[in-house]
Amino acid sequence: MTCEEVRELLPEQLLGSLDETTDARVRQHIRGCAECRAERLRLEDGVAALSYATHEAVPPAELRDHVLGVLDEEWSTSEETVAPAGPKVARMPASRWIAAVAAALLVVSVAWGAVQTRHAQQTSADARSYQALLATLGGREFRLGELHPMGGVGVTGTVLLYDGVGRWNSWGIVLARSDADLTDARVMLVGPNGISKELPPLRFSDGEASSWLVTHEALTGYDELVIVARGGTVLANARISEA
Amino acid sequence: MRHVLIDDASSDQALMAAFVDRDERAAGLLYDRFASRVYGLGIVMLGNDHAAQDLVQDTFVKLWRTAARFDPERGRLETWILLTARSLAIDLLRRRVLESRSLQELGPPPVHDPSPGPDDLAATADLAGRARRAMAKLSNEQRSALELAYFGGRTTAEVAALEGIPQGTAKTRIHAALLKLRAEMAREVGDDV
Repeated sequence: MTCEEVRELLPEQLLGSLDETTDARVRQHIRGCAECRAERLRLEDGVAALSYATHEAVPPAELRDHVLGVLDEEWSTSEETVAPAGPKVARMPASRWIAAVAAALLVVSVAWGAVQTRHAQQTSADARSYQALLATLGGREFRLGELHPMGGVGVTGTVLLYDGVGRWNSWGIVLARSDADLTDARVMLVGPNGISKELPPLRFSDGEASSWLVTHEALTGYDELVIVARGGTVLANARISEA
Repeated sequence: MRHVLIDDASSDQALMAAFVDRDERAAGLLYDRFASRVYGLGIVMLGNDHAAQDLVQDTFVKLWRTAARFDPERGRLETWILLTARSLAIDLLRRRVLESRSLQELGPPPVHDPSPGPDDLAATADLAGRARRAMAKLSNEQRSALELAYFGGRTTAEVAALEGIPQGTAKTRIHAALLKLRAEMAREVGDDV
């Protein structure tokens, strides 16, 4: 994209109304263009001024203690179960969830003939320990992302990626939930340079769906996941980063 | 004199890192810096004190749950927090299917404590006053387009359709409005634009 094209899109990018693909392309351009970054900062100044001009108001004094108390409760319970806004789902801590899924998918990797049976059996036994699992797999970090709904449809969930080393496959798994009347949706990994890879579609049943792949291809170039309806509407997206 | 609109990116990154580590002081600092505008946004967009207080709570909980993903390379902390709150408010509005409100109908946001506040509150009130004067410098067309995009969550295509103008014109008005606000604020403090 040219600077002229990007600057025309900057207000929408700032306010979050661009589609995922265009947003990714604008962010990619900004990362490498100081002038466009400066223009974006000027627009951010404008948003700040707008906020002071139109919605600065003193909240009730007691709200501070209330909100800080809610945060304290959130902190103390975040290691156990957390109820997010939207569908009520209990979450395991990331490390235990990763180990459980990794153990299941290692069985798949064995079926694909990507690893020695001895290593798989050892790793399955070690799967309760996240660090032991990483050491066994050669130290590659898992990457995790949380799906955030877009467009008011309410698709949430989680994506997990693992980049294999040597004879190990790379794999990814997407677990999605929706309270909307969805039948299926497309799933795409997206990278900052515009690359994309489509996973098998999500087929919802009773509001839940999953999609996964095991591949010899490296997944390190992908840092976002996008869920798209058949009509092209973006339903959810997740930024993927190290767990 | 430090430009009031420029955040210290390195200190914001440290603040968020402390927040991720469940630092109570960091949480308090975040609240003191941003709660008033999040609350005010709730009043403007959602229309009542109860909903505005809920918005403040929901915003800070979401900030905690997504704090580890704050990336200063993507923009300022201030912008991220304001737009997080705005996104939550828009989602709620869409669920409620409320009619959009005009800022002119609502007037200035209500203040619960009319008595003189501490120095930092006075500084913020001064900033708000300057920002409102800057806002008054916008043309009606610029203000309308910006309000639809910011408070209504409208795309430029939707703004264009609502205003009966080409999409390019809608983009130009929103862009120009934000830059003009910045320029007017900078002019008031004597900085170079």
